[in-house]
Amino acid sequence: MHYIYSLLVLIGIYVTLSASFNLIIGNGGLISIAHPIFFALGAYTAALFAINFGVPVLFSIAAGMIVALGSSFALSLPALRISGDYLLIASIGFQLGLVQIIKNLDFTGGAGGLGNIPSVLSGETRDIAFAVGSLGMALVVVLIIRSIIRSPYGSAITAMRDDELAFVSLGRNAMAIKLVIFAIGSGFAGLAGGVYAYYYLYLSPDQFEILQSATILTMVVVGGMGSTLGPVVGGILLLALPQAITFLQLPPSIMGPLQGMIFTLLVLVFLFVRPQGLISTKRLHR
Amino acid sequence: MNEILSTQGLYKSFGGIVVADNVTFSIAAGEIIGLIGPNGAGKTSLFNLISGVITPDAGEIFLRGLPIGDLPLHRRARAGIARTWQHVRLFKTMTVLENLLVAPRECSGESVFKLLFGGGAYRREQATLRDRANGILARMGLAPMAERLVTELPFGQQKLVGVARALMNDGPCLLLDEPMAGVEGTAYETIKTIVREEAAAGRAVCVVEHNISFIKDLCSSAVFMANGRIMQTGTVAELFGNKFLTQLYFGT
Repeated sequence: MHYIYSLLVLIGIYVTLSASFNLIIGNGGLISIAHPIFFALGAYTAALFAINFGVPVLFSIAAGMIVALGSSFALSLPALRISGDYLLIASIGFQLGLVQIIKNLDFTGGAGGLGNIPSVLSGETRDIAFAVGSLGMALVVVLIIRSIIRSPYGSAITAMRDDELAFVSLGRNAMAIKLVIFAIGSGFAGLAGGVYAYYYLYLSPDQFEILQSATILTMVVVGGMGSTLGPVVGGILLLALPQAITFLQLPPSIMGPLQGMIFTLLVLVFLFVRPQGLISTKRLHR
Repeated sequence: MNEILSTQGLYKSFGGIVVADNVTFSIAAGEIIGLIGPNGAGKTSLFNLISGVITPDAGEIFLRGLPIGDLPLHRRARAGIARTWQHVRLFKTMTVLENLLVAPRECSGESVFKLLFGGGAYRREQATLRDRANGILARMGLAPMAERLVTELPFGQQKLVGVARALMNDGPCLLLDEPMAGVEGTAYETIKTIVREEAAAGRAVCVVEHNISFIKDLCSSAVFMANGRIMQTGTVAELFGNKFLTQLYFGT
């Protein structure tokens, strides 16, 4: 049973990550690959608050979310001020640089990782609580994003993505909208990070490398960019898939690369064959 | 004369190609001015300079006497400069009505804070907007298409939606960039009526158009541009009486 629960926790975390990334890239059209670093900022902040100051669970997770949200401006403000295209380049630097910093600081545990995160609950109660909490988080995040997208604010986001120049010349402030959706998306990634830290009790900088970005992007692309349910389906499917191939009993040396190949193949196949993803927004015209 | 928009010595060049050379002109309330000239004369560039898409190298733009040259694009639209595009530029994944709902000058819909904390006032404002948008669509005969995706409409009607979207900006100045290109039949008559009505309501309208009969029917006066310069300003009859200009325009 522990195995099932841990899979559910992971599903909740990854659905949160891919839904929030979808808000940024799918709805907002902002190309960034720095999502894992905001995940990391949330995780490390929550963990450090818990370890050093004994802050209660919910508060340190909230702190992680706030730090991720706040630090998103450090990337988006300068990058978007020049032009949207620079966001991608800046995000690569931001992602690689911050992981290096985490690896080289003492109080983050350096490259060896950060352990000793105080455990909350134990036994099967812990498993159930985390599974419910993580899935609940995913549900709330998906519903919040859905209500944003369906609101007039969501129409503004869509219009901006469709034709930014026409949008701005109507009197809309595209810059403000970009900053806000980038902050919301990054904040949710931080939230997922907090839950991750408390569940695994150990953080290694390797878990937040740039490759994570590929995993999250695959979930968004396969599920359906810009659709609310897409990242949910994509997240669940791509977490279940590697579990499914573990039953093939292949040696780990083959399993790792095989997973990478399957993910890459999926992105390519979907981009060529079904660019709208499994869940189509119906309105996508190409 | 109640002057709405004026430019003073606008100059802009792109690496040696001068698109605006000392352009000085003005439009008064209720006036419909035709902007004509051969392709590449700088007509659209002038619209881009006025609406803030490109910044002039020299010169100033005034809206109701106040300089607006330092305002960014979106602030100029809020100040009351509405424009359409030669290639329509509608929001392709949205319906006709949705295209209009994001277009008013002041729009709480673009603030996430008002979405969260606006409450009743926010909802009332959205309802008012919807009424205004439906009103404009009805005037243009687009009401039956309100819920259709803009890409499903024929090109002529997309042009109408482009004009309708610009009308959501109730500011004093309306710039129409080739509203008639690719438009015929009822849509043609509709646009003509709408432009007349808007000017009668006190707006200053400037139209870039190659359709000469449209210019002759509608415009109180016209401005002839070539190579970024204003060659002559006057009534339409005066401009076409000038052999040199007609030769420049028609090449005959």
